[in-house]
Amino acid sequence: MFMDIKNLQFSYPKSPLNTVDNFSFTVEKGEVISILGRSGSGKSTLLRLIAGLEMPAGGAFTLNGKKMFCDKTFLQPEKRGIGMVFQDYALFPHMSVEENILFGLPKMSRKDKKKRAQEVLELVELIGFEKRYPHQLSGGQQQRVALARALAPEPELLLLDEPFSNLDTDLQVKIRGDLRRILKKAKTTAIFVTHNQNDAHALADRIVKIKDGKIEKIGRPCDLLGVSPTEIPGMVEITYEELIGV
Amino acid sequence: MNKHLANVNGWTIGAVLIIILLFLPNVSIVTGVFSPVSENWAHIKEFMLFNYIKSSLTLVFFTALFTIIIGLSLAWLIAQYDFPLRNFMKWALILPLSIPPFIGAYTYHGIINYTGVIQKTLRNHFDVTPNPAYFDIMNVPGAIFIYTLFLYPYVYMITRIFLSHQSASLIESARTLGKGPLEIFFKVVLPISRVSIIGGASLVVLEVLNDYGVVKYFGIQTFSTAIFQTWFGLGDLDAAIKLAASLMGIVIFILVIERLLRGGKQFSYSTTKVRPLPLVRLKGRKAVFATLYTVVIFSVAFLIPILQLIDWVILTYGKVPMQDVLFYTKNSVIVAGLGAFLVIVFSLVVGNFSRVVNHKFAKILPKLTVLGYSIPGVVVAVAVITTFIALDRFLAPVYQYLGMDSELVLSVSLFMLISAYVIRFFAIGYNSIETGFDKIGTDFRDASRMLGANSLRTFFKIDVPMMKGAIISGFILVFVDILKEIPLTLILRPFNYDTLATKAFQYASDEKIMEASQASLLIVGVSTIAIFVFHKLLREEPK
Ligand SMILES: Nc1ncnc2c1ncn2[C@@H]1O[C@H](COP(=O)(O)OP(=O)(O)O)[C@@H](O)[C@H]1O
Ligand SMILES: [Mg+2]
Repeated sequence: MFMDIKNLQFSYPKSPLNTVDNFSFTVEKGEVISILGRSGSGKSTLLRLIAGLEMPAGGAFTLNGKKMFCDKTFLQPEKRGIGMVFQDYALFPHMSVEENILFGLPKMSRKDKKKRAQEVLELVELIGFEKRYPHQLSGGQQQRVALARALAPEPELLLLDEPFSNLDTDLQVKIRGDLRRILKKAKTTAIFVTHNQNDAHALADRIVKIKDGKIEKIGRPCDLLGVSPTEIPGMVEITYEELIGV
Repeated sequence: MNKHLANVNGWTIGAVLIIILLFLPNVSIVTGVFSPVSENWAHIKEFMLFNYIKSSLTLVFFTALFTIIIGLSLAWLIAQYDFPLRNFMKWALILPLSIPPFIGAYTYHGIINYTGVIQKTLRNHFDVTPNPAYFDIMNVPGAIFIYTLFLYPYVYMITRIFLSHQSASLIESARTLGKGPLEIFFKVVLPISRVSIIGGASLVVLEVLNDYGVVKYFGIQTFSTAIFQTWFGLGDLDAAIKLAASLMGIVIFILVIERLLRGGKQFSYSTTKVRPLPLVRLKGRKAVFATLYTVVIFSVAFLIPILQLIDWVILTYGKVPMQDVLFYTKNSVIVAGLGAFLVIVFSLVVGNFSRVVNHKFAKILPKLTVLGYSIPGVVVAVAVITTFIALDRFLAPVYQYLGMDSELVLSVSLFMLISAYVIRFFAIGYNSIETGFDKIGTDFRDASRMLGANSLRTFFKIDVPMMKGAIISGFILVFVDILKEIPLTLILRPFNYDTLATKAFQYASDEKIMEASQASLLIVGVSTIAIFVFHKLLREEPK
């Protein structure tokens, strides 16, 4: 199994319930997984646990045969080889687009680094934007820079937290398609978090539905959600919240 | 696995060590309370202690009262009204902060004493020879006058920022309800700005208790001067420690009162939308009065003393060798630069620790170091010297082993003075750095680590560059404070090591007022530039 999480447990200090409760699931190499749940269900927390930014109370996690954590070990986030695209992108404001991308590249020659930066910029169609600073980019461009930056070091696993939530609705649909193409082209194993079932439907190979930190269902999009509402003429986009009636 | 243990890394160890070092000297004061009672102490307690308490509290009470009256009225004028010169006055009224009260004190004494410009003019041009007693400011009311002039900006600054950012909707609704300006002032402005007024006034109070220069020059008996005297006059360090402990008790008492006065009510965060208050344009007599009022305060608290200093510098040109002045300037820059640098480095370590380690303890502990700033310089000096002498005793075998013939090494070095600065001014730098960390949050740090950068690389490549503004302003604030500092420097400097401040103070104490002017003007000049830069930085800081 490429990625294996067993009985993951976590709670924030002073919170009475487990924020992530007895969470187990596995991922195949190259799969794109969507974690779907309403806001506050623990999606971001789960990503942060996988990333190593929070320390679990219990459980075990291996990635590509390497132990990320178990009873005895806890691998620091920078040693895990996991990339992440943050909800608000977290592009370093004092660095240009290119510098942002170069920052994450491992030790190699300056020329190779530049070449790799060009590759990922091409992938996200942002050639020519190298010298711009984050505040000189639109929301959609910032998001693609964040994606390029995360992909540049060729992570074994890519995490994306609500990748579309900061974008306008029409932009969301376009970028959703782009993202799937980019992920598949780069053959990246990815887990992305969303509260929008259309995103999950359009992007994921498999969906993990969670509620209150527990897994509710795991399955293929068509099994879990039926035909995508966007594929039926005249249907409007609805969010997960609307779907389950909150 | 234990969550908290896993967080124990270099940062934590460094931060905890720094905090312990900052605290250690206070412990020596507290333990000193329990040392055996000496004859001196019995005498002081019976005959003098009450007087020290009385004069210190008199100074504190009236200075607080007058700085609140002046600071609040200016803040209200500037925040609410438009009148000629308003935009200049808005920041010029902060400038008196750049004049250390002891320099203000001797300058004013020089202006109005027998040979000063006022009495001379009266004698020579108007043939009036007034009773010199009218012109004596070397007493308690005189000290209150000086403190008020040079410390009111604390109240003004904090209250003005509060009023112009937070109160728009409240004041506007009061206006639409047909309330007059006086009624609005007493029924709306005064109650809502209580927290900021008390915040500013407590800074003033701490400065007054900390002051040594003014009361020494004016010959007023307060805790600061008494501690000095007991220590160096009587040579009784134990009694000095007991006095220091009493003063520390008063400071803690005042801090508790401040907390109580502030109360649970926080008006400042009730409105989420920050909207500036639209200015009311004053016309005619009212405009003239507003301009006049600000001009008078600005002149008395800044312009007149500066002009007098400049005059003296010109008069004494060539009398004080330029070389000497350059030498003291160099010393000042070295100690202030080194002190400020260390404060900022320590603040960065402790601030990062507090941010990264998710534990109550890591949030509260750094806050306690504020105590160092609240505790008057003379007390810190007693504490530091006690600690360093103990340290030297402890290290004596090492010195012997190294073949040094002296038993006192650390306690006669510049190192001791710098440590004392760091202890006293840590809170100033930390405050700035903490605000900086709060502003950037943890997302960039997380992002950096997800890109494979370890804690150290993240710190230098992400945190430090992003906090440039906070680092520079923290450095400036501490630098200027050290430049102006008197009691710590006087007590703890190595033999014959003079800075601009100690030199100015010594000249003035020897009644060589004019000779003191060069060093003073340099201190004031550098402070003014610092305030200006700081002001610009704050304004340019993106939201
Ligand atoms: N730093 C934190 N401290 C305490 N509680 C938190 C913290 N972050 C999130 N929570 C709580 O944990 C739960 C899950 O939050 P989160 O993982 O952000 O949910 P989601 O991303 O699905 O919206 C929520 O109830 C939230 O209030
Ligand atoms: Mg979330």
